[in-house]
Formats: sequence, C-alpha cells, structure tokens
Amino acid sequence: MNDPYKVLGVSPNASQEEVKKAYRELARKYHPDNYHNNPLADLAQEKMKEINEAYDTIMKGGASSNSGYGSYNQSSSGQNSYGGSGEFAAVRAAINAGNLAYAEQLLNSSGNRNAEWNFLMGSLYYRKGWLDEARSYYQRAVNMDPYNNEYRQAMNYMTNYGQAYRPTGYRQAQGVDACDICTALMCANMCCNCR
Amino acid sequence: MFGYIRPLKPELKVKDFERFKACYCGLCHSLGKEYGFSARFILNFDFTFMAMLLWGAEAPVCYTAKRCPMSPFKKKCVCCHSDSLSVSAGYSLILTWWKLRDTVNDDTFFKALLARLGMLFLRRAYKKAVKRYPEFDETVRDRLKALSVFEKENCPSIDMVSDCFAELLAAAAKGAEGSMERIYREVFYHMGRWIYIIDAVNDVEEDIKHKSYNPVLTRYGVSDKLSDEQAEELKITLAHSLNFIISAYGLLPKNPWSDIIENIIYLGMPYVSDAVFSGTFRNVRDGLPR
Repeated sequence: MNDPYKVLGVSPNASQEEVKKAYRELARKYHPDNYHNNPLADLAQEKMKEINEAYDTIMKGGASSNSGYGSYNQSSSGQNSYGGSGEFAAVRAAINAGNLAYAEQLLNSSGNRNAEWNFLMGSLYYRKGWLDEARSYYQRAVNMDPYNNEYRQAMNYMTNYGQAYRPTGYRQAQGVDACDICTALMCANMCCNCR
Repeated sequence: MFGYIRPLKPELKVKDFERFKACYCGLCHSLGKEYGFSARFILNFDFTFMAMLLWGAEAPVCYTAKRCPMSPFKKKCVCCHSDSLSVSAGYSLILTWWKLRDTVNDDTFFKALLARLGMLFLRRAYKKAVKRYPEFDETVRDRLKALSVFEKENCPSIDMVSDCFAELLAAAAKGAEGSMERIYREVFYHMGRWIYIIDAVNDVEEDIKHKSYNPVLTRYGVSDKLSDEQAEELKITLAHSLNFIISAYGLLPKNPWSDIIENIIYLGMPYVSDAVFSGTFRNVRDGLPR
C-alpha cells in the first residue's frame, strides 16, 4: 500500500487536526457528486477508497473503515443507479458499463420513442460529452413526462452545469461557510479578552 | 491555435508569471531547435498549456538564460528543453500545417495566398514532425476533413461539429501511461470542445458580416444576433465542459506546473469566456483591459 501520509499529502508528523483537514478536502474533491455519470467515475472511486484507507491507517492504525466519508465507498458509485424498467433495461446496463456504441445501437433500433427513450438518449450523449444534445433530449423527456423525478433531476443537473471541486481560494462566491463563522468567533473572542 | 487558454495574470504569483513566461519561451526555443527558425512563428499560449499539462509529475524543471531574436541583447530566463515541450512543439506544427491547408482550400484568394506562403516556410518542419508523430498527423488530417464537411453542410449540431476538434485534441493523450491516457483524453476532449465553441461565439459578428457558416448561429437558426437566452445556454454548456475538465484534472498527480494550470482552468478560462460573451475579448490582454 502507498504511504498513507503521502496519499493525504501531509507530513508524517502532522497533527490529527491537520490529517483530518487534509482528508476532508480530498474527500470533497473526489466526492461522487463531482463525477456523476462521468466516464472517469471509476477512477474517482478508487481515489476515494485510497484516501479512506490512508485516513483509517493513520487515525486508528489500520482499523476498519469508519471515516466520516467512508460510506461513499459503496453506496453511491457516481453512476446513475438506473432501475431497470422492461424494454430499456439493457440500454441502461450498457450505458452504465460505458458500452456506448451498443447502447446507441439498441436505442436506434427501438421503435418506442417515449420519454424514457429520450432520457436515455440524453444519458448516452452526456457520457459522450455531447452536452448540448444531451440537454435537448433531457428537455424532451421532461416535456413528455413532467412528473418523473429522474428526468427532472437530469435536467436540473444540466441547468447547473454539473459540479466540480474547486480548492479554497478558487471557489465561486458563495454564502458564509463554517470556517468564516469560526474565524469570526475567534476574532470576537480575542476582542473580549483584551481590555 | 487561438490563444484562448491563458492564465489570469493579476491572480498569478509573480514567480508563477515568470515561470509561465519561461515555459512559453522554452516552447519557442524547442520549436526553433527541433524544426528550424520559421517554426518559431507558430508559438502560442494553448500549446504552452499542453506542454505544462503533459509534464511528468516527477520530471524536473530547470531554467537557463538565453538570447533570442525577440530579445537579442538581454538574456531571458528560459525553461530547458524537455519531453513535453518537444511533444507540444511537434503537435502544434502538425495542427498549424493542416489549418493552413484548410485556409488554402476554403478561404478568399488573399488569405489563401498568405496561407500558401506560410506552408512554404513550414514545409520542412512539418515533414520532420510527421515522421515523429504519424498517428497524430493522421487524426488531425482526418478530423479536420470531417470538420470542413460539416461546415460546408451547415451542420446544425454544435456537439457534432465541435466533436471533430475535440477528438483531434484528445489524440494528444495517446501514449500516456495506464489510466492517465483516459484522464488526459477527457481533459483534452473538453478543452477542444470548449475552444471550438468559444471561438465560434467570438466569430459571430464577423460571420454575420461575411455570411459565412457559424455553428452557434446555425444551432439556433438565427442570422442576425444571439438572444440573451441563447447566449446563456451556450455559457452553461461551456461551463459544463469546464467542469468536466476540472474533474478530470483532479485525478492527475500534481506536477511542477500545477499552480499555473490551476490558475488557467479555475480563473483564466472563465475570464476568457466572460470576455468573449461581453464582446471585450479583443481588448483584453493578460487579464487586464487595455
């Protein structure tokens, strides 16, 4: 196994707090949400496993995975966990496996052009990186079946242009985060102390 | 290519700005050393980025002081020759060659004449580059051909047209080790898609004036101006490609250029995108309005 300190990018004499901080940042980076239906989702998952193991090794001398983010290991793989519904089950399986040519062949030969067909065409194009086409197909699926949650979620994801990790300092303007509150409290505390 | 991939200078540390300049000069020296003087004229930011991205995690960076035709008296700090500078130099030559060929075939008489002249000067350099990278040459020729067919047919799908250019850049990932090839492919694919679409947006006004094909205009079936809503949709699709680039990049090991690469993808590219959409890109230099 790789040196756990190297995996987390901290020095071997780092404090527990520093290890925790480095771990959290990396867990945020490789979070499955950043690799949703992404062709590289499997690699991100491997990274996640690696940092989980490294964290456990350092904190508990290799005890079984109990890290805060450990649950990411299995529960969500970053892929759409498509439920197989009848006709298109094979298409969903092919897209999940990354076998796009086969999925395309199945979809093209299907006579059924319902909402699900449009949704799956969207998913297929999404995996290829054809984002504008994907959006059009998702939109059609939503129009045909406005109450389907899966289609609406996909459309939402497109409108928010997906998700990717940005390190502190590069994040887009957002609301107050926990760190800001802590800093503010620390400052306030210092003010109270000096008389 | 086009110069859209550049750092946001005001946010770069001074040392990183100096290092970026040294890498840019290094690429120029590599072009000169390997392909002769005329090859130096094709130098640009995009391939400097490629050289930095392809730099091995463990490969050291060293600097030396050199004179050059642009600075004949004062020596400049230049990044020493390296594998990734060499590869980027070769790729940029091949791509430039085939873009010139396209211009000769498709453009007005005067522009075609200039392109012919350029090809005359680059002929020997190109021949040398093809010998080294025959596969890349094949992909570029093939994809640009497909691209020009789509352009002639007035293809209404921006994904279909930009896919040609994206696949072309993705070919630069070939030969990377193990899963690195997949990661590089993803970065370069969306880089190519992003560059192609942003270039199309940047050309909207000119293409309207000359009544020439523009994938963005054809996509929406408009001939005068993009509506705000359409522009917004394009911004979103570009930001989405950028997110793919960032997610893929996150899986690569850090290398000596990481700080500069991060400035480019986190800040430079969004900045360029904003500038192109607001029509100020031509007035922007180094992230500071002129």
